[in-house]
Amino acid sequence: MSGKNMEEKVEQATNSKNISLPVSRVRLIMKSSPDVSCINQDALFLTTKATELFVQHLALSSYKNGSGKETNTLSYSDLANVAEETETFQFLTDILPKKILARDYLKSLEEMEKDDENL
Amino acid sequence: MDGDSSTTDTTQLGITGEYMTGGTYVLQTQDDDGDESFNDHDDGNGSKDHFREQDIYLPIANVARIMKNAIPQTGKIAKDAKECVQECVSEFISFITSEASERCHQEKPGQLPAGLITADGQQQNVMVYTTSYQQIPGVQQIQFS
Repeated sequence: MSGKNMEEKVEQATNSKNISLPVSRVRLIMKSSPDVSCINQDALFLTTKATELFVQHLALSSYKNGSGKETNTLSYSDLANVAEETETFQFLTDILPKKILARDYLKSLEEMEKDDENL
Repeated sequence: MDGDSSTTDTTQLGITGEYMTGGTYVLQTQDDDGDESFNDHDDGNGSKDHFREQDIYLPIANVARIMKNAIPQTGKIAKDAKECVQECVSEFISFITSEASERCHQEKPGQLPAGLITADGQQQNVMVYTTSYQQIPGVQQIQFS
């Protein structure tokens, strides 16, 4: 991760006092965690801002890492790839499984069954 | 309420709530009948888990806008990528909150400096963001009680 890029982003984020995410919704999600009773206002603001930066970071990393250069489009598979390959995003691997075509899956199922029959 | 096009109507969000005197929402966990039937195959650890299954997301328009501003201007974003990031965002928030809450209960109740939200063993990306936040004047400490 380039430090300079991050600095620019921090500047952007800190210069704008506006946050573009609904704070109340963020609070809802936070409250869904067990054992969380009260949430300090600063903590809430901090989390909301962190989430903004997270979205930027995830989007940009996926775009750069993936096929965006050819297709110019950020796709789901870009996200899945970056989650698997980048340590910082590994907590997302459970919700970002790589997709395979149904026919490939069915093919591999068939092959497995054939192997079982042969045993 | 927030000026965005999303709804804050709790029935549409899939949760029930009621106003307390201060105008605060109290989240009530769902009963087992009604919409919960399709969750029956999940391990019924308790109503808290059912609530987490409700999957509250941030509005996709906001998320998509932030994504768009992050990538080069000529770039496009697939629809399923937007939806997917929406889910990642909720996961991220829950992740930070649970780590911080754990920290909060381990330390004496009090103030945690913003840097401490990065618990040991936590993912690096949180360190990135909280390190950034340390540069924000005035937001030096967070408090979870």
